Amino acid sequence: MNSDVHERAARLLAERRVLPLAREDEQWLATHLADCADCSAEDVRVAEALSALRAMQISVPRNLAGRTQLRVRLRAEELREHAPANRLVWAVAVMSWIFGLASAPLVWRGFEWLGGELHLPKLVWATGVVLWWAVPALVATGIVLFGHQGRTSAE
Amino acid sequence: MLEDAQSLARALKRRDPDLLDRLIEQYQFRLFRYLLHLTGNPQSAEDFFQETWLRVLERGHQYDGRWKFEAWLFAIARNLVLDWHRRRKPQSLESLAGPDEDATPFDVADERSESPLEQVLHAEVRTGVQLSLQRVPAIYREVLVLRFQEEMQLDEIAGVTGAPISTVKSRLYRGLDALKSAMQGGAA
Repeated sequence: MNSDVHERAARLLAERRVLPLAREDEQWLATHLADCADCSAEDVRVAEALSALRAMQISVPRNLAGRTQLRVRLRAEELREHAPANRLVWAVAVMSWIFGLASAPLVWRGFEWLGGELHLPKLVWATGVVLWWAVPALVATGIVLFGHQGRTSAE
Repeated sequence: MLEDAQSLARALKRRDPDLLDRLIEQYQFRLFRYLLHLTGNPQSAEDFFQETWLRVLERGHQYDGRWKFEAWLFAIARNLVLDWHRRRKPQSLESLAGPDEDATPFDVADERSESPLEQVLHAEVRTGVQLSLQRVPAIYREVLVLRFQEEMQLDEIAGVTGAPISTVKSRLYRGLDALKSAMQGGAA
C-alpha cells in the first residue's frame, strides 16, 4: 500500500471526527481500516484519547462558586447604587439634546448676527457654531471616559 | 432552547442575583476547566473565573439569546484572558500557555465508582492525555477542548473564538494531528 493511501485515511479519520463524511469516503475508509492494521490502531488510539478527554475531571478550587457569588452580589449592589446617578446623567443628556436641537436656529442666527457686527467671514462664525456644539459634548465625553478608566484601574 | 435563552437574556438584563447564583453553580466546572486549559494555571483560571462572572453581571444586557449561553460565556472568558495577556505583553493565543515541558498536569479527579485497578489504569490514560494535551499548541488545544469536552458545534466554536468556521475546522484537524503526535511522543 503506498503512503498516499494512508495519508488519505489519516485525513478522512480527522475529518470524520469533525463532520460526517460523504458516503463513498466513509465506505472507502471502512474498507481501508479493515485491511490496514496500522491505520486501524491509530484510529483506536485517537478515539481512546478523545474519550479520555471527554471523561476528564478536574478539581474545582474549594468554594470557588461561593466566593464568586459573593463578589458578584457585592458588585451588583454597587451597580444598583450607581444606577440613579447614571439615570440622572442620561436624563440630563436627553434634555440637553432636545434643548440644543430646538435652539439650533436661534444659535445659528445669533452667531450670524455677531459675525455681521464684528465683520467676520462666514467660515469663522460658522466654526464658532460648530465649536459651541462640539466642545461641551467633548468635555462631557472626556469626563465620563476618565471617570470610567479611574474606576476600572481602582478595581 | 430558544425560549430558555430568551428568558435567560431577559433575566440577565435585570441582573437577577438569584439567576446569577444558579448560573455560577451550574457552569463552575465547565468554565473553570476551559479557563484552566486556556491559561494552564489554576490560580489564573480562578481569577479569570471570577472576572468572567463580574463581566456577565455588567454586560448581561448584551446577551440577546440568539446563541447558547455557554458560547457567550466562554467568549467573555476567552476575551478577558486575551485582553490581560495583551496588556502585559502583546501576544495572541498562539503563544499563550504553549507547550511547556516542565508543566505538571493539573489535578485530575474522577468521581465515577471504579475498582482500584480500573482507577489506576484510567488515571494513567487520563494523565497521559492530559500531558499530551499540554503539548498541543494553545490555539489548537482550545478548539479540541471546545469540541470534544464541551461538545460545542462548529458555529458555536466559531462564535467563541471569533474565527470563521473554515478556520475552526482547520484548527481541529491540526489539533487532532498535534494531539496524535504528542501522544506518540509521550509513548516513545
